[in-house]
Amino acid sequence: MSDLDDFKATYFDECSELLNELEEQFAAIEAGERDADRLNAVFRAIHSVKGGAGAFGFSALVGFAHAYETLLDYVRDGRIEMSDDVVNLCIRANDIVADHVKAAQTGDALPADYGMEEKDRFDALARGERDDSDDDEGGDPIDDFDIEFVPVMVNLGGYQPAAETSSGVEADDVFDALPMQVEPGHWEIRFTPHRALYARANDPLLLFRELAVLGDMHVRAVLEEIPALVDFEPFAVYCSWEITLVSPSITEAMIREVFEFVDGDCDIAIAQLGNSIAFDIPAPAPAVAKPAPKPAKLTAESDRADLLALADDEVADLLDFSRDSDVAVVPALTAEKPSFTPEPEAPAITVQDTFDEAPSLSFAELAETIAPSPIPKRAASTAVTPLRAPAPAASSDGEESSSGGNRSVGVQSIRVDLDKVDRVVNMVGELVITQSMLTQQMDETLRARYTELVRGLEVLAQTTRGLQDSVMAIRAQPVKTVFSRLPRLVRELATKTGKKIKLETVGENTEIDKTVIEQLSDPLTHMVRNSADHGIESPETRLARGKPEIGTIRLSAEQAGGNILIIVEDDGGGINRERVLQVARDKGVVAPDVNPTDEQIDQLIFAPGFSTASEVSDISGRGVGMDVVLSNIKKIGGSVHVRSWTGKGTRMTLRLPLTLAVLDVMLVKVGVSPYVVPLSSIVETIQCSRASFERVPSGGQVLQVRGEYVQVIDLAQRFEMVSETEPENRFVVLCEAEGSAKVALIVDDIIGQQQVVIKSLEENFERVEGIAGGTILGDGNVALIVDVQSLKTTIVHKNAA
Amino acid sequence: MEALGFRDDMADKSAVAAQNSLQLIAFSIGEQTYGVEITTVREIRAWNGATPLPNTREFVRGVINLRGTIVPIFDLRARFGDGPTSPTKNHVVVVMSVGDKWVGILVDAVSDILTVSRDDIHNVPEGNSIDTELLNGIVTHESRMVGLIDLHAVVSGAKMDS
Amino acid sequence: MTILRVLTVDDSRTILAMLHHTLSNAGFEVLQAEDGKQGLEVLKTEHVDVVITDINMPVMDGIEFIKNVRATGNHQSLPILILTTETSQDKRDQGKAAGGTGWIVKPFDPEKLISVIHRVVH
Repeated sequence: MSDLDDFKATYFDECSELLNELEEQFAAIEAGERDADRLNAVFRAIHSVKGGAGAFGFSALVGFAHAYETLLDYVRDGRIEMSDDVVNLCIRANDIVADHVKAAQTGDALPADYGMEEKDRFDALARGERDDSDDDEGGDPIDDFDIEFVPVMVNLGGYQPAAETSSGVEADDVFDALPMQVEPGHWEIRFTPHRALYARANDPLLLFRELAVLGDMHVRAVLEEIPALVDFEPFAVYCSWEITLVSPSITEAMIREVFEFVDGDCDIAIAQLGNSIAFDIPAPAPAVAKPAPKPAKLTAESDRADLLALADDEVADLLDFSRDSDVAVVPALTAEKPSFTPEPEAPAITVQDTFDEAPSLSFAELAETIAPSPIPKRAASTAVTPLRAPAPAASSDGEESSSGGNRSVGVQSIRVDLDKVDRVVNMVGELVITQSMLTQQMDETLRARYTELVRGLEVLAQTTRGLQDSVMAIRAQPVKTVFSRLPRLVRELATKTGKKIKLETVGENTEIDKTVIEQLSDPLTHMVRNSADHGIESPETRLARGKPEIGTIRLSAEQAGGNILIIVEDDGGGINRERVLQVARDKGVVAPDVNPTDEQIDQLIFAPGFSTASEVSDISGRGVGMDVVLSNIKKIGGSVHVRSWTGKGTRMTLRLPLTLAVLDVMLVKVGVSPYVVPLSSIVETIQCSRASFERVPSGGQVLQVRGEYVQVIDLAQRFEMVSETEPENRFVVLCEAEGSAKVALIVDDIIGQQQVVIKSLEENFERVEGIAGGTILGDGNVALIVDVQSLKTTIVHKNAA
Repeated sequence: MEALGFRDDMADKSAVAAQNSLQLIAFSIGEQTYGVEITTVREIRAWNGATPLPNTREFVRGVINLRGTIVPIFDLRARFGDGPTSPTKNHVVVVMSVGDKWVGILVDAVSDILTVSRDDIHNVPEGNSIDTELLNGIVTHESRMVGLIDLHAVVSGAKMDS
Repeated sequence: MTILRVLTVDDSRTILAMLHHTLSNAGFEVLQAEDGKQGLEVLKTEHVDVVITDINMPVMDGIEFIKNVRATGNHQSLPILILTTETSQDKRDQGKAAGGTGWIVKPFDPEKLISVIHRVVH
């Protein structure tokens, strides 16, 4: 069933959020923040995981989560102390819950005893504290969850089973003379609501309606308790009812179930009786003629009688006991014991249909119908209350108009399909570009001539910027969604390597576009792995080096202009440059006669297929190295830089764009074709006539800029275009590749700066060397995005080969 | 009854015909006529230039903007080894879907929509390797020879090194 | 016949989604809130015929929420169903004491859910 699949998808989404939340909470709890709020949040998270799991029948997950939840409940109410041991157990338990969730998602079965050890420990902890307590909440042994999780809806009112319906004693209290002969199928119910019943918005009418579904029902209101108007208390409850219910298949349990919610809020007596003796049943018509038994009272309180008549009238209308509403009114007034005729042909449907009309009756209308004098009017509106107290408050005029005027839901957040947001982001991207194109079209003559148009364009520019920022904010997410996956990784790495590692995070609330966040997870995992595996030393080594036994990996995020910086630092041994260089030479990445600087050596760890660990470790190895980090980051227009201090640690800095939606670029011309270069990688531009080029022995050119020699790539040559521009009129676009390696691109002209939306070439074609994608310019033509990194890399390879 | 029988017969015949026939868009390159199945054609537009793609083979004319997506254009004449087309505004780009991708084919002109019978499709005679590589078959229509283009083959091998 | 509006209050998106599905299929109009505080906000501006609320929620839990609803003049007769996985009487009693009209035990059976709603609302 696809609906179910949808719900499951939602559930697994939610689980991953909840698991992240658990990581966060426990990071704080581990740091000593053990306040009630955190414990409650943890409890709720597990509770929600369990709740959903129950709905889908993930029984292993439910079982474990239930045991864990019980432990948390005990911790929350102080029965179990949140010692460091318990914290560690909980953290382990979170991982197990995560594994259960994953297993449920993938459909892979975990070993049957998975998490059993921990569960036993929960149980032991719970039992240890439980001997002296016989609280009901969570009091069952933890492994009893199976029984608790049968989806039971009802049957909790402590009713007597249907078989024991000879409850003569109870019945005697209510009815004066009960038949001794019990006959199945005929029930008498005496129902006396308390004030609390109305206070909780229960409604006798609804109970009657539900009873009416069970069989043929007749209700008589008992009104003797209603005092004289002077003594009338508006919110007191004076009315009770006697109900006759006839159906061969009813059990007392079924009747009790109807009254389930009002158990304790009313007196209820249920008796089964023999048909023959039960009530003498007057026919409806004669009942009308019957004189009221208490005429004195009636005449004295004639306005009250009207009122009651009306009230009962309403009941009669609603319940549709009889097509003749008088019938219902009169028995109410006569207040004589036996009341109405069973009406066997009245189907339950009729009853429900009439109920649907009930809300159309408003208090205002009622008040109008009732006697015109002010006193009864007041009495009316109050006296009606106990009879139909649960009338929805919404029928009041003010409410109606306010809800009518604004039907939108007043919640503070809504969930929107990401696709929809993406579409908006893309369109806003196009809008930004169209706007900047329009602005560029305005030359000085136009500006002078059309001042209004210019002003309009300025406003448009502002609004577009604002719109773009707002839209991007919608899709932005805090980096903690990625960060929070890492503590577990570090724990596992520490266990596997026998190291002691502490993970610190800073700036996890820094927000980045979701598209960037998604690309961040893998590289970050690799970087943290690298730090744990290669950076942090064993506890012995650390102690021997005079460092604290526990190594620290520090993750931080900060915004720096249009970029986001993610820094992974460790206080380990730093990069072993000798080894790195050795491996690089062995693998031919670095020529034997080249002597790279320290910084260049550090950067070598990102070279394809490079691994420095002497034995391929279980953790970082498997042939996938830091080059994956580099290529992933490059793919999203970011860069990675590494710095290392021998014996002190390593710092890796990821520089990422805030968004992938719009790219700031410089528009250039190569041959006759437009190209764009990402602004983030441009250091400066120089006119060729002012640049100092030098020849190198291979015949190539290098550019000397501020004492540094930089590789030169003539884009026209590289892209096999014909340059018709005089060499001195061409431009150098000095770009920075990863690290601080620079490359000088020669272009034929610089047209200007603008923003573009990146379009994929691969969607309809394939990857093209040296090109990162395409974009559509204001005139509708396609411009290609220069991939500075890959241009540089291919050059290096060509030289090495 | 007879009338009914006759009608049934008609229905059968046209069903067979529909099953067995093929509608082609025919276009020309020089004197040659080629065709592609009409169902693969998305759009036909006049040549309006393309942004050249570096490091691709001669027959990749570049990319165009087709309502916000980038679509590559293949020069069919160049693909058949007859050198690049010198396109004018009268040249035509036939946009087609190949698998899940959209590509444009630059041709001289679109000539006709043809209905041919599948039974009339002949194998490409062995000999010229480019023909056998790029054509699915040959069909004769009004005494003209129409080469059926194998689109997958046309768009493959676009990179310099492949 | 008017369409009944149900306000569902739960911090679990899964439960909200399932309630939404079940209730809208049954012809109800469904409003959603993720905690008691949001629930109260909705009630300020929206007419609602019945409320279904979870107990364990951040910001404002179900018990507080029910108390607050009952404390508001025009919501004294608004039916509130407590959504709970607690099979022990405890939570339910607390919810009832706060003014809850009835309860639904998770995981709920769609038909049962609808019938329980009809038990408390016109």
